[in-house]
Amino acid sequence: MWGLVVVVLLAALVGFDLLKAPGQKLEFAVAGEFELTPIVELPTIGPFDMSINKAVVYLWLTAAILIAVAVIIRLNLKKEPGRFQVVIETLYGLAHDGIVGAVMKSGRATWFPYIAGVFFFVLTANLIGLVPLPLAEHGQFGFYTATANLYVTLTLALCTFAFTHYAGIRKNGGLHYFRNWAPPSAPPVLKQLIWVIHAVSEVFRLVSLAVRLFANMLAGHAILAVFFAMALIFQSYLAAAMLQGASVLIYLFEIFVAFIQAFIFAILSAVYIGGALDQEH
Amino acid sequence: MDANAAKLLGAGIAMGVGALGPGIGLGMLLGKAFESIARQPEVSGDIRTSMFIGIGVTEAVALYAFVVALILIFVA
Repeated sequence: MWGLVVVVLLAALVGFDLLKAPGQKLEFAVAGEFELTPIVELPTIGPFDMSINKAVVYLWLTAAILIAVAVIIRLNLKKEPGRFQVVIETLYGLAHDGIVGAVMKSGRATWFPYIAGVFFFVLTANLIGLVPLPLAEHGQFGFYTATANLYVTLTLALCTFAFTHYAGIRKNGGLHYFRNWAPPSAPPVLKQLIWVIHAVSEVFRLVSLAVRLFANMLAGHAILAVFFAMALIFQSYLAAAMLQGASVLIYLFEIFVAFIQAFIFAILSAVYIGGALDQEH
Repeated sequence: MDANAAKLLGAGIAMGVGALGPGIGLGMLLGKAFESIARQPEVSGDIRTSMFIGIGVTEAVALYAFVVALILIFVA
């Protein structure tokens, strides 16, 4: 009953808006949402620009939230967990059994902290991106993710890349590890060919790990931005009202994507590190 | 056709054609995964884990096309 009243009122509101003359034309560019303008200008050290921009603030926020949650959950550990503890325990169990336990054969205890760390970091960074924060231009509220940024995801992927080879060399010995990239039983010329193909695939693992997270978050936020700004693009209140409803569905899908991408990033890290530890061929 | 129109057209074609293959691949992957879960529900956990790894690897191909489209529009 009340739902019907609300719908009728909303329809009346939309109809009233449609009768009014269209407002001033506003420009909207999706690409502008992802530009990184420095908030605090700092000098450049060598090749590194040390300026603080939106992405840096989001990364600090991610780290701060992770540390705060870890401390709070540690101080309030209970035998009969509350809601918050159940959520954290479920995520911890997912990282422990669903990712590391399901994929890695040996070195689980050694590499669980890194895999879980990456999982929680990417998950938190992705989810913060779906909370409007007053960090857009002129201090307006806006959506932005640190992970919709190739520098951040490439750094995370480089960590996995470095740890993969560190783990392999430490477990199997340097020469043995690199020799085992090709199966020892293969005939001579084919063996070198397989080794080169494997070397190329190692580089592409790094690229695809970085680009997957970056492109997913960028595409998701670009679609969100376009849906939120439909009113500016179509200059029509009716289209805006309908597509604002659709943007809620896109938003829910983005929450799902944030989880899936964190899970995939962590599980692929675990697969690569596990593959370097137990070389199969 | 001026250069900008060609860029935008190229970006659209890159994204559209680039999504074809991964779309077919993801469909086959998910179809087979659900088929095997329906056939053997007791190993659904293992299948789901491998399925997510497969999704991640297949999806990367479409995302390369997306990045190429972005480069065409904003960089080239």
